[in-house]
Amino acid sequence: MRESQINFWSKVPFSGPLWMMILLTLLVGFGIVFALTKAPTQARRPITWILTFLSGAFFVAYQYWPHSINFDKNKELPKGAVEGVSAWMNETTSIVGTIAQVLAAFMLGLGIFSIMKIHGTKIIKQQKDWPFSVVLIGSLLAMLFFGYGDFHVREATKTMDFDNPNNWGFINMGRDFLFEGLLQQMDAAMFSIIAFFILSAAYRAFRARSVEATILLGTALLVILSLMGVVAFAWDGLVDKIAGQPGPTRDIILNLRISEIANWIKNTFQTPAITGIRFGIGLGTLSMALRIWLGLEKGSK
Amino acid sequence: MPNEKIGPWSSDSIPLGSQYWDTGWFGLLFILIFLGFILFNVLRAGSNKNLFIRRIPGLNAIDEAVGRATEMGKPILMVPGLSDPVNAIAVQAINICSYVTKTAAKFSNPIIMCAYSASMYTLAQEVIRDVYQQEGVPERFDPDSVRYISDRQFAFAAGVSGIIHREQTAATFFLGEFYAESLIFAETANSIGAIQVASSTEATQTPFFIAACDYVLIGDEFYAASAYLTREPVLVGSLIGQDWSKVFAIMCILCGAVSQSVFSCGHAKAVEEIVSSSNGDQTIIAEELKKLKDAEKHQFVFSKLFKTMDPPEDLKVERDPKPADEASPLVGVPK
Repeated sequence: MRESQINFWSKVPFSGPLWMMILLTLLVGFGIVFALTKAPTQARRPITWILTFLSGAFFVAYQYWPHSINFDKNKELPKGAVEGVSAWMNETTSIVGTIAQVLAAFMLGLGIFSIMKIHGTKIIKQQKDWPFSVVLIGSLLAMLFFGYGDFHVREATKTMDFDNPNNWGFINMGRDFLFEGLLQQMDAAMFSIIAFFILSAAYRAFRARSVEATILLGTALLVILSLMGVVAFAWDGLVDKIAGQPGPTRDIILNLRISEIANWIKNTFQTPAITGIRFGIGLGTLSMALRIWLGLEKGSK
Repeated sequence: MPNEKIGPWSSDSIPLGSQYWDTGWFGLLFILIFLGFILFNVLRAGSNKNLFIRRIPGLNAIDEAVGRATEMGKPILMVPGLSDPVNAIAVQAINICSYVTKTAAKFSNPIIMCAYSASMYTLAQEVIRDVYQQEGVPERFDPDSVRYISDRQFAFAAGVSGIIHREQTAATFFLGEFYAESLIFAETANSIGAIQVASSTEATQTPFFIAACDYVLIGDEFYAASAYLTREPVLVGSLIGQDWSKVFAIMCILCGAVSQSVFSCGHAKAVEEIVSSSNGDQTIIAEELKKLKDAEKHQFVFSKLFKTMDPPEDLKVERDPKPADEASPLVGVPK
């Protein structure tokens, strides 16, 4: 652990206060979960809202509370109370952010339970395509076994150079085969089929069925042609030839180069349109976040 | 420039507020103004029930898609995006999915919801169960209808595509955060003739959905969905607050464009004067241009408000040094 990681939230490794904090956190965490399960349904919403509000309030405060300027926490002490709070918030942000990850890690068990239940039932009842479920559960267990085995071996023998495959044992080879040899390759295969899907989707989208589709087809064609080296070279060369001698007329004609037209389409239409869409999405997210934070979001009824 | 006053905060007065440096405060103020618009309209919507929302074809298609699935006796597939962990986008996606489920529950239509993350799976299962309970048909809820597939992007894509093929879904809803897998979903659903309603908060994926899907919610239409479908005052009010914010932003853009044009025009004239009065002497031109640049720093231009400047790295703030024992808290820690 680096020095900079020691702060209010993280104690010295293997120390008494650290174990005490872990124990206390577990107790408080389980206490909250237990209280939530025992609380009447009407009471759960306010409890959840209070927790949401407090978490949100921290990040709002973090954004608006004045941040320190050129502050080196390893060498300097905060100047005054305001800067002290700012330094504390800086340390706390990453810790608070990881709480969500810890909760998600607990939920992973539920996810695995879902997979086991659906595919286990399929195997037991020998429903259609049940052998594939056997493959899935077998793969899950194999990856768990080899993944943890590999992690354990690497942690136990840290002095060994595992970048060199000659130092690998059966368990390391197993993990490498499953992860690098199979999973990564299958990921790449799935990714590569997008190329064919782009073609089929483009074929449907670019059929000139209406005025809008025809405009889309025309602009897409121009942008595609501008990216083809030979076509762009020939088109631009022709425009250069037609433009003739330097002068105002030439400057105007040179705007008809395909690279200029494509850039104009991208910069004048595409970029502002995407920026507009992003702005709308940002506003929507802001509004949604505000409703969740203030407990105004009740879900669809 | 350690002691130069650049913005409202100066090095010798306040050593705090790096996010407020120069015009950084304007961005934060902007957010507060937006929040004010939204909250004001939420309050306004409570008393005025007749606020107008424009028609969104993609949302009208939801009932049509569910109706078609009911006629065909085939399931409805919903994918609430690839958010991990659950965020505002995922919550909105689940909100729309719950409306779809509500409609499906009325017609006893089977649904399948594929979750990318374990947290999304847990949330989705609770929400879908609630919907069936609210509709008074809790026995129709099938816990296996909400499925956790995988939290690896293309494993998830393969899993969902497989379900679309095997279950022959009649209607598919892809709502939320999508990335490269968007086209795999849309094209697979298209290949079996399913109606597709889609929306992605990723601007780069929206064109793929537009090319491949029947109905697409573009940009903030995704967030307008709840208000449009439920007409709940809080949601309608916040939607109108967003519209006010957009109008405000458009006005700022116009002011910025005019202000920048006037500034650029003045700058060009000043440069022209410098060049003409210097008789081609490059040293004088360079000196005069530097003076002009310095003078322009202090000139107010509306568009400058949007160009924030970080505090200079050499700006020195006097602080007490950290005591030596505090600086090394790892003394005695086993390695």
